[in-house]
Amino acid sequence: MNRATKSLLGAAVALVLAVSAGADNKFDYCLLCHGANANGNAGIRAPKLSGMEPWYLTRQLENFAAGVRGTPGGDDSGHEMGPVGWRVKHENVLGDAVSFIGGLPSAKPVATVTGDVKHGKQLYAACAACHGAKGQGNEQLNSPALAARSDWYLVTQLKNFRAGLRGADERDTYGAQMRAVVATLADDKAVADVVAYINTL
Amino acid sequence: MGAKLSRRDFLQLAGAVGGSNAVFRAAMGLGLLAPVARASKPELAKPAKPRKVLILGAGISGLTAAYELNKAGYEVQVLEASFRAGGRNMTVRNGDRIDETGYQQVCNFDKDPDLYFNCGPARIPGHHQNLLNYCKELDVELEPFINDNRNAWVQDDAMFGGKPIRAREYMSDSRGFVAELMSKSMKPEQFAAPLTAEDYERLREYMKYLGTLDPSFKYAGTSNAGLAKHDYTNPDVLKTPLDGRELLKSKFMAIMNFGETDDQAAMMMEPVGGMDRVPAGFMRKIGHLVQLESQVQKIQVLPKGVEVTYRRNGEYTKVKADYVINCIPMHLLAGIEHNFAKEHAAGFLAVPRGKLFKIGLQMKQRFWEDEGIYGGISWTTQDIQQIWYPAHGIHRKKGVVLAAYTFDPNAGEKFARLAPADRIKLAIEQGSKIHPKYGDYVETGVTVAWHQMNHMLGCAAQWDEELWKKWFTKLQAPQGAHYLVGDQVSYHPGWQEGAMASAHHAIADIDARERAAGKAVHA
Repeated sequence: MNRATKSLLGAAVALVLAVSAGADNKFDYCLLCHGANANGNAGIRAPKLSGMEPWYLTRQLENFAAGVRGTPGGDDSGHEMGPVGWRVKHENVLGDAVSFIGGLPSAKPVATVTGDVKHGKQLYAACAACHGAKGQGNEQLNSPALAARSDWYLVTQLKNFRAGLRGADERDTYGAQMRAVVATLADDKAVADVVAYINTL
Repeated sequence: MGAKLSRRDFLQLAGAVGGSNAVFRAAMGLGLLAPVARASKPELAKPAKPRKVLILGAGISGLTAAYELNKAGYEVQVLEASFRAGGRNMTVRNGDRIDETGYQQVCNFDKDPDLYFNCGPARIPGHHQNLLNYCKELDVELEPFINDNRNAWVQDDAMFGGKPIRAREYMSDSRGFVAELMSKSMKPEQFAAPLTAEDYERLREYMKYLGTLDPSFKYAGTSNAGLAKHDYTNPDVLKTPLDGRELLKSKFMAIMNFGETDDQAAMMMEPVGGMDRVPAGFMRKIGHLVQLESQVQKIQVLPKGVEVTYRRNGEYTKVKADYVINCIPMHLLAGIEHNFAKEHAAGFLAVPRGKLFKIGLQMKQRFWEDEGIYGGISWTTQDIQQIWYPAHGIHRKKGVVLAAYTFDPNAGEKFARLAPADRIKLAIEQGSKIHPKYGDYVETGVTVAWHQMNHMLGCAAQWDEELWKKWFTKLQAPQGAHYLVGDQVSYHPGWQEGAMASAHHAIADIDARERAAGKAVHA
């Protein structure tokens, strides 16, 4: 199956599920924090979810539910998400939640991060291998898309990886890989630069 | 009375007959004193043309606005995201749902009118005139609320090895200690203002009374700290004063005047049966105008009026109104699609959200009454910070105790991260330092992490001087026909009175616009 067919099929499946999952208010609490159409809310540090790959959403909800993500001190937003992951898992609606998000129209996020795009481009070389030259992501490599995400969220997560607030749990294999790569970003400026570049993708 | 009274004579006479309250009232009548508080409720005119006001949120500000506008002849519709009205005014009883985004809870208190827990506001000071007026108007019966109880405990690991002492001992003995030191060491020349010999003597007298010192300015204990035992067939025996240096190790000094602050001083009140009698009173009048489980997704300010899109049962519906009064917490509003001016919307991200946390525990026995505690608050420097004892249902078998009320956002976070059962476990562990057999009495409990509650995700907006200066006017200013309100847009966040004042401010502005428009039509 080529990529276009796959994504088309994915969209169709998501649409069908969205109709059934969206028949009530079950997942309105996702939109409460993550904003209208889950396009993100910086006011509550809840990132844009619409447009995120279902496989990635699933994995992260599983991580939150299991305490792989959102447990070390200092990651307040992650802590808030922890019990929500636990709930969707324990109410057996994790798949429905992912489908619900998949059925929402994704809007282009507003850029909020500024930095040295030229320098960011150089730094991005280390990211491109897994996340793709256009930041489109690569499921085979377990790498989510970076383009068209909440940019402030990318900054937070890069800092979290660096500080060991994410990816430090031994069960988080892919997070551990990110922790290793993120070491190439020397400081907060480097983080801002690379995200400023991602904004151009 | 033949001779003409001077104003001062009259006030003295009034004081002699009627006490200080009479003096106060008389002075107010003579225009000498400002009234304590002035209700902000505007007199609304009936709009000249039919006007629709859409209100977003059925919390205290939304209900206030809806009630007044409906009374004045506006068409009113209220959209509420939650399954219940009241906002942070929330009382739970047997069977009630606590809608936390992650951990859903059900209140398992016994079915009993005294066994309830006020998860949000829980007390009303005597100068919150708007709220009190509404209680009167809506037949919400009030009873005294005990906020300050000198018989309650103070516990701090930093003093006396963590052993709790009575609040009256801390306050009397520390004041005695400080007053003795001060009165013995202060010299007239140390003060910036010149003191005459007489002034200086009066100051020393004042210190004597402040610290209940003996005639030689020594603090030798006081019955204010409580007697060693209450045996009224024998002479009083005072407690031995506690070591002043030890008392000063406690951070309790920062909160010991809590019961003297403007909003916390006696006489405080609470509605009989729970604080949610307030929204219930509004709902009796305007409940038919409130549509629940309707979550706003988009707000478009139009050249005339406002269009709002909301989501209900998975369906999206658009509503147009002449005015919108928006009570949605700013930190959530930031995630809703809108076309507000940038300098207005940037404020939504500028003011941090509060993270208060509370626990209510049903106790199978009112053990605190055996300790001489009837109502009021014990304080601890542990995370739970406070234990409140109910003043209603005295001498009944059971009672619901507030087992944690954190002001520190980090303590709120700490509890919120835990599952409800673990939150209660932690609260019992900490409470046991005050009441040794505390855990034995616990039957069931509820936990409320306001920053994780559905449709709230926060408590009172955390304003400070800088933020107020920079953002308040911008946030309060209407965007076309759209008004942001709530306790979040008041100088009294976290209080229902602030929410009401903000609602009044907005409806007064709408009224002024309508009056102006009405005039234009008639001219």
